[in-house]
Amino acid sequence: MKALLLRMFIFRMLALASILGLLSTSLSAAEPNLPGNDLGVTNPSMSDSAGSEAMAKWARSCALCHVTGEANAPVVGDTEEWQQRLQKGEAALLNNVVNGINSMPPLGYCMSCEAADFRVMIDFMAGVK
Amino acid sequence: MRKISRRSFLASSVKAALFSGVGGFAVKGGAFAGSVPWSNWSGGQTCQPAGRYDIGSEDQLSSLLKKTSGAIRPVGSSHSFSPLVPTDGHLIVIDRLSGILDYDSETKQATIGAGSRLGDLGDPLAAIGQGMINLPDIDRQTVAGAIATGTHGTGVTLQALSACVASLRLVTPSGEVMDIDSTNQDLLHAARVNVGALGIVTQVTMQNRESYKLKKREWAAPTEDILENFDELAASHRHFEIFPLVYSDYSLVLSIDETDEPIGQIEVEAVPSDDASIAESLGLSDNPTPAERRQMSNATASRIQATESVDVSHKILSNVRNSRFNEMEYSVAAEVGAECLREILKTIYDEKIDVQFVLEYRYVGADQDWLSMSYGEHSHATISIHRMASADYRPYFNRIEPIFWKYGGRPHWGKVHSLTHKELSGLYPRFNDFMDLRRELDPHGRMLNPHLRDLFNA
Repeated sequence: MKALLLRMFIFRMLALASILGLLSTSLSAAEPNLPGNDLGVTNPSMSDSAGSEAMAKWARSCALCHVTGEANAPVVGDTEEWQQRLQKGEAALLNNVVNGINSMPPLGYCMSCEAADFRVMIDFMAGVK
Repeated sequence: MRKISRRSFLASSVKAALFSGVGGFAVKGGAFAGSVPWSNWSGGQTCQPAGRYDIGSEDQLSSLLKKTSGAIRPVGSSHSFSPLVPTDGHLIVIDRLSGILDYDSETKQATIGAGSRLGDLGDPLAAIGQGMINLPDIDRQTVAGAIATGTHGTGVTLQALSACVASLRLVTPSGEVMDIDSTNQDLLHAARVNVGALGIVTQVTMQNRESYKLKKREWAAPTEDILENFDELAASHRHFEIFPLVYSDYSLVLSIDETDEPIGQIEVEAVPSDDASIAESLGLSDNPTPAERRQMSNATASRIQATESVDVSHKILSNVRNSRFNEMEYSVAAEVGAECLREILKTIYDEKIDVQFVLEYRYVGADQDWLSMSYGEHSHATISIHRMASADYRPYFNRIEPIFWKYGGRPHWGKVHSLTHKELSGLYPRFNDFMDLRRELDPHGRMLNPHLRDLFNA
């Protein structure tokens, strides 16, 4: 039953990510007018908290391993596994993502991600938000 | 006698190397008040970019480059071990420029977003009846990165991935969009293996073939037996390569051929108790002498059982590599390849270099791309050495690299090397032409970083 619920959760989250991915090409109007913004180029350091762009990035990077559990990656929605990691604290988790840990390479294959993106992704995978 | 598979032997080799790891280059991140640091896949290259541009379309990229003037470096999957990416300017991320954009069923060509990861293309291409002619070992590189660095697979008649590029679109550092195809052969030969120095490639049209299946066979054999017949073996298989074991007389051998057989796998799984004996043979016992290590390693290697598997081409040719490492790879003329390999193996043995990771030895077909490591009229042998990412690769690589030079070796652009334009211009006949073209397309040097300045005397 737990496995079934986990699969259902993953399916729903993937569907959500897919939808968010379709919406990710538009920029938030709240972003300041810095180089690139008026061109529709995403500069992650300026992103607001909407998170849709972060989820589109998640679908292109983290999902490679965190959906299937490739290389023992904690699977999205496996709250028990993620709780153990959350207990390390946000700073430690971000450091692990940015520097890489075990089989996960630095930045987890998301070269466009900034810290704000990673926070959204971790919360999503841990089922926090 | 228990049998073990090549795969389990390699896994143990990696495990042993992990245990021997010392130090590393991990970035120690802080609060990430600005842009987060960048590191490559292995962690061996790092930088603190001013920011990142996540490009959504070619028009956006062109407009951005026209409007801005600062330093930029394109980044794909960050699989290069050489410092091609590090910059204190902005990173240009193109992974949203992905997927199959167009295809032609008659010519078997497909136009692909340059930010596509190779591993994401196999199934969509198969769905339109196409397969890539060859693929490199690691499947998470982007198309742009793999082509720009001259990344290749295995096969004496099969060229590097870049040689399969029928045309490409390049956005120059000033924002001009260039369509480059065979109507300008010189420009096409220059722009394929571009080391990220001429601009940003947004899409490529690849010459593919009909989708196909491959049969892979893996076994172990004495290295000298294979080397003496390498030309014949390479010619008789679509793909043929060996992974010489250090401190051993054996190599792991891999052949791949086209097949119509049903998809499946025949493999003997390792029994757990073998791990200990393999680890022991790899030097984890109490400080064995090279001779003792060779004896143990030979005994273990001789028990490796042949395995076979059949699958669609992209699932046989490329792999996910979950154990991170650094790598140096050079190509040398095929006729001196075996001699070069022997000298490397002897040096490791004689100087008791502390390494467990296997080497890799293979042939790659010749091509005409200016900066291709197989440029010319004849196929080249390529030799790779590896070090686990957790260990300092420099002492090992620094010792072996001069051996490659002795045999006229050309470096893989995406892998560790220490050559500059002084040596490179003598190794690549069109190197000076490439430097001229680079100056023409990027007169202000906005795509240069310290490594590229060394490469191109800029």
